[in-house]
Parts: sequence; structure tokens; C-alpha cells
Amino acid sequence: MRLDWVNILATVIFVSIVVTLILAVASYFAYKVREARRPKTAGELRQEGQMKAFFNQYEPKK
Amino acid sequence: METNKPVVRTPMSPRKQAIISILIILAVVILTVFMFRYPERLGPIAVSALVVTLASFLLLLILRHFVLIWFSFLHQRELSHDEPPEHYPFVSIIVPAFNEAEVIHASLASLLELRYPYYEIIAVDDGSTDGTYEKMREFEGNHYGVRVQVFRKENSGKADTLNYGIRRSRAPIVICMDSDSRLTPDALRYAIRQFTDPNVGAVAGNVKVINRHNIWTKLQALEYIEGLNIVRKAQAFFRSVNVIPGPMGIFRRTAIEGTGGYDSDTYAEDFDMTVKILADGWKINYEPKAVAYTEAPEELLDIIKQRYRWSRGILQALRKQKHLLTRTSGVITTPLSLWYMIFEGLVWPAMNIFSSLFFVYIALMFGMQKLLVMWWLLLTLLDVLIAVHAILMEKEDLRLAAYAVFYRFFYILIIDVTKVFATLEELVGLDMSWGKLARKGRI
Repeated sequence: MRLDWVNILATVIFVSIVVTLILAVASYFAYKVREARRPKTAGELRQEGQMKAFFNQYEPKK
Repeated sequence: METNKPVVRTPMSPRKQAIISILIILAVVILTVFMFRYPERLGPIAVSALVVTLASFLLLLILRHFVLIWFSFLHQRELSHDEPPEHYPFVSIIVPAFNEAEVIHASLASLLELRYPYYEIIAVDDGSTDGTYEKMREFEGNHYGVRVQVFRKENSGKADTLNYGIRRSRAPIVICMDSDSRLTPDALRYAIRQFTDPNVGAVAGNVKVINRHNIWTKLQALEYIEGLNIVRKAQAFFRSVNVIPGPMGIFRRTAIEGTGGYDSDTYAEDFDMTVKILADGWKINYEPKAVAYTEAPEELLDIIKQRYRWSRGILQALRKQKHLLTRTSGVITTPLSLWYMIFEGLVWPAMNIFSSLFFVYIALMFGMQKLLVMWWLLLTLLDVLIAVHAILMEKEDLRLAAYAVFYRFFYILIIDVTKVFATLEELVGLDMSWGKLARKGRI
């Protein structure tokens, strides 16, 4: 049986492009989900006005 | 260095965001179903139009590559005649850092090994919580004539931290670098030679990936050599480099002060600063021998995070400087650089995805497998040739050229999808944060 290399290569290219695009879109959404779930940084909390101080700064009396 | 700073735009309401996202997804699904269900209804005119578009894309791609190769070659030839500088001016190196305890030691240590006679180091901690400041303090003092000053301030973002360091520096030449980067011993000596031209306001360094451990970092290493540096080299022929990279930017103090310093209103402060310097009429050159090694993200999601921020940051800076796009006075290269950035950032990624999808569609629906194979072979051959050319010019590891096979149809496609999503999100004004990358301490 003679192999049709053009068809095989076309199939490989087709599958790799489609899989890559699916992977790219899925990875992008995975990144968005990960970002949404990560704990907020001090900068973001401060920006949203939710930053709570653990301690009050001590200022010695003069 | 990366840090957190305020979002640039007022975010759109979640309801509006959801409606827009659903509409976009719906449009894509309907179009896809229609194209596969009723290919004959597309009509010969529509198919011809698509084929012409794709042919133009291919032509543009080939043209782009050859133009880049030609001008980068001319720049390289120019450099080979360059003389070393007659004198070495005093240089201040600014190292901003936010939670970079893993890498800050290696970064500062590399600065003490520079073969340069007269410089100072100013390290600024941007309110880190991981012990970065304590590691910086180990370097404070005088090291064989090199004064290292360490400062600590409240977290306020990278742009503000750089300005803080610049204000405390004294030299006529200022280097701004990232704390996850490492300069090679001769980087400074080579960079300085570009300032013999009094019209040069800044010089972009040559950034390379240091952690080439897996396929992602190897692909990024190739991207830095083939994709980013060759573009900078070509732009440098016209003295109009449009991005001075964060890991190594060398500035004339008068140029940086003339712009009023770094602004905190975009996520791409390096691109923003570059545009401001170009707009002031300064030339910006590139020095391939001023090498800085940087730690690239090692996982796919971290790459996406980084590119997402770059894309949105560039769009924010472009929006901010949009008046320059139509500027007719001054040097023509400034608006041209910005238009090129729009092309590379907005048009090119969408065209790349579109062409990939379209060729798959054509091959499937019209039985044109041969065309698909020819297209793939042509582009891959082009990428391999350019990779070899760029690697040889940089005297880099030739084995990286093998990764060019995966470069366009795998890596760049993923990056382009991220760019398109980032563009859409920037256009609808979605909320975003800086996106701190976890360091592995590879530098």
C-alpha cells in the first residue's frame, strides 16, 4: 500500500492547529480562573479600601 | 521587577462584561456553524476575497521577515565599524524590586562584576514582604570604588520606584533594570559607546533568556533572539527602537528628565517611556553586546499572564499617546514606530489566528490538502531560516533553531490568542492587576 504523505501531513497540521487553538483558549480561561481565585495582594486590598492593619503604629509621647 | 499598582481604567460592570462576552462567543459559534454547514453559500466572491486576504498575509509575512533581516544586517554592519568610547562617563544603575528575594542576590552580585571603571548602584525596595530588603542590605556600602545604596519605601509600583531611584542618582547616564535580570560583565562598556552620538537619548540592551530548562523557556529564548532582538536591530538602523526593555534600558539623564520620569498610568511603563523619549526628538539605539539575562516564566499559564500584561500595557500606552499617531511635525519615525506597534500588537495576532483557521477550513471543506501542506512548509522553512540567521548573528546556541518548527504553529499561536483576548478586554475596559510572576531563582 502506498502512503499518501500529503494527506498524512495535512492531517497532522490540521490536528495540531486545532489542538493548539483549543489549548490556547483553554489555557487563557484557566489563567483567568487562577487569577480570580488567587488571594488579593496588599496593593489590591489597599486600592479597594479593604486593607486592614494588624497593628497600630506606636508613636512615643514627646 | 514586578509590583502591584492601581488599575488604569474604570472597569465595566460585570453585567455588561458578561453580555459582551456572550455576544462574541455567539457570533463566533454562528459563523463557524454557517461556514461548515453551508460552505457553498459563501459564494465564489467571498471565497476569492478570503483567498486574496490570505495571500496578502503570506506576502506581508515574507516581506516583513526580509525587511527585518535586511535592516538588522545593516545595523550589525554599522556596529562592526564602531570604535570603543574615548571616555567612560559615570553611570547610575537603578534596581527596583518588589518581592524578589529569590533573585535579588544574583542580580546585585552581577552588577559588582561589571568591567566598567566608574558607576554606582541604587537598589530600591518597593515595600517587599519576602525579605528582599534584607538581602539588598547585604550589598550596601562601598565595593572597590562602587557605591551601593539601598533604599526602602512603601509599595507604590514599578514606575514610581524607578523615579525614586533616578531622583537619588547622580550620573549623566542612568541604567534602569529589572531585579530578575543579570547583566554580563561587558554590558555597560558596550552600551556606553552608543552615547557618543549626542542625539541618542537611550539605548536598548539585548535581553536573553537564562533559564532554558524546558520547551516553554527554550521557545521564549528563541523568541527573544528571533522575534524581539531582530526587530530591535532593524529599528535601530533608523535609531527608533520602540521598546526599551525593562531588564536593561540605558538612558541619558537629560532625556529621561525631559519626559518627567516614568508614569504609573499604564502597565507597560518601559514602552510608555520609550514613546515619550522618541516624541521629544531623541534617537534610540540598540546595543547587541549589552547583554542582560532574564528569568523567563517556566509554565504556560505564567507566560500567558506575562503576555497578557504586556499586550494590555502597550495598548494603554498607545491610547495615552494616540495624538502622536497623526503628528506631522518632528521626526517621522515616531508615528511610524507607533503604527508598527499597532500592527504587531493588534493586527498581526488576529491575522495569524484567522489565517490558521482559514487554511484549516479550506483544506477541510474544499479538499485542498496540498495547499495546507505547502503553506505550512513555506512558513516553517521561513521561520527556521530566520532563526538560523538570528542565532548566527547573536552567536547563540544553534540547537535552538530546531524549536522554530514549533514556533509559529504552536507557540506564537498561543501567544496570539492571548494577545487577541487581552486586546478585547482592554477595549471593553475589563479590570486587571499587575500579575506578579513567581520567581524560581534561576539567574
